[in-house]
Amino acid sequence: MTNKEKYKQAFSALHPPGDISVEVERMAIMSRKAKFRTAAAVAAACLAVVFGGGMAYAADVGGIQRTVQLWMNGEMTNAEFIFDGEGNYRISYPQEDGSEGELGGGGVAFDEDGNERPLTESEILEELNSPDVVYEDDGTVWVYYYDQKIEITDRFEDGICYVEVSKDGETLYMTVKYNGGYAVSPHKYESPKCFNN
Amino acid sequence: MRRSVQELFEEYQNSLYAAAFNVCRNVEDAKDVVQDTFIQYYSLKKEFDSEQHLRAWLLRVAINKAKNMNRTFWRRNKRSLEDYMETLVFESHQSEELFETVMELPEKYRIVIHLFYYEDYSVHEIGDILKISDSNVKVRLSRGRSLLKEKLREEWDDDE
Repeated sequence: MTNKEKYKQAFSALHPPGDISVEVERMAIMSRKAKFRTAAAVAAACLAVVFGGGMAYAADVGGIQRTVQLWMNGEMTNAEFIFDGEGNYRISYPQEDGSEGELGGGGVAFDEDGNERPLTESEILEELNSPDVVYEDDGTVWVYYYDQKIEITDRFEDGICYVEVSKDGETLYMTVKYNGGYAVSPHKYESPKCFNN
Repeated sequence: MRRSVQELFEEYQNSLYAAAFNVCRNVEDAKDVVQDTFIQYYSLKKEFDSEQHLRAWLLRVAINKAKNMNRTFWRRNKRSLEDYMETLVFESHQSEELFETVMELPEKYRIVIHLFYYEDYSVHEIGDILKISDSNVKVRLSRGRSLLKEKLREEWDDDE
């Protein structure tokens, strides 16, 4: 037996686990959606963020602090933004009740060959201003996108709502599942079957 | 050219998993790498010149992602390689010993050895996939072989 034959025989013992999913369309949407959004402010020590791969970053990042303007629930908010230059950020911002909310996380992007790089500051800020769906305590459901606040409470049919939001001439198509997440695409409404099934 | 993800999955999942496992030495990470590689293929909408181009790209992406996994400071609780080894069924004791010995090699030798002996790639093709020079591939291959020979002795032949 040649070395190649021996090697192949040895490694033929390796088999991928049976639960690898090929539903990549669904996974692609999930990975886009998993960006940085968290429900409300998270004061916890860290926030796991998945952006293509499994990563987590401590929220307590060191770095340069500056004030940025972010849209939080339809309101322009002055937030203290700390970015460490390595894809990690922390934000603190005033809340309606006077307390300070905190939000932290991070992310990575992958180039064409799968090499990882940390997201830049502008990419993070862009992600933070992406559309969000908020379920209020009074039962209403809202989509927030920059200064737009759209109530979609009564727009669900069979638990699904389709919403179009625009900013500076660019349109995003949102498919929202009631209490089941949402998918955003600049091209089309994603099928509800493609995510969170 | 483009092929459906389902087709590629059927054809390359074993290959990508073996390459990813070779780098990560961990089931969960290797599994994530395989899925992420197909997500990247799906998302990128990249056109390929040929089947060889596509295969090499998939392997390159999987290897890069596996290396990223090894570099990240966040590591989940993982099953050890030893525990996982116990679940594998080898055709012979020699196969098990070879597998174990390869897994003990440094990563930079391991992946070159794998692409040469498992994927049948040439030195030049390996250099292209790993983005390193041919001479670098030759050095790593040679050192990897020497280490295998040193540990496996008569179980590993002298080859070029």
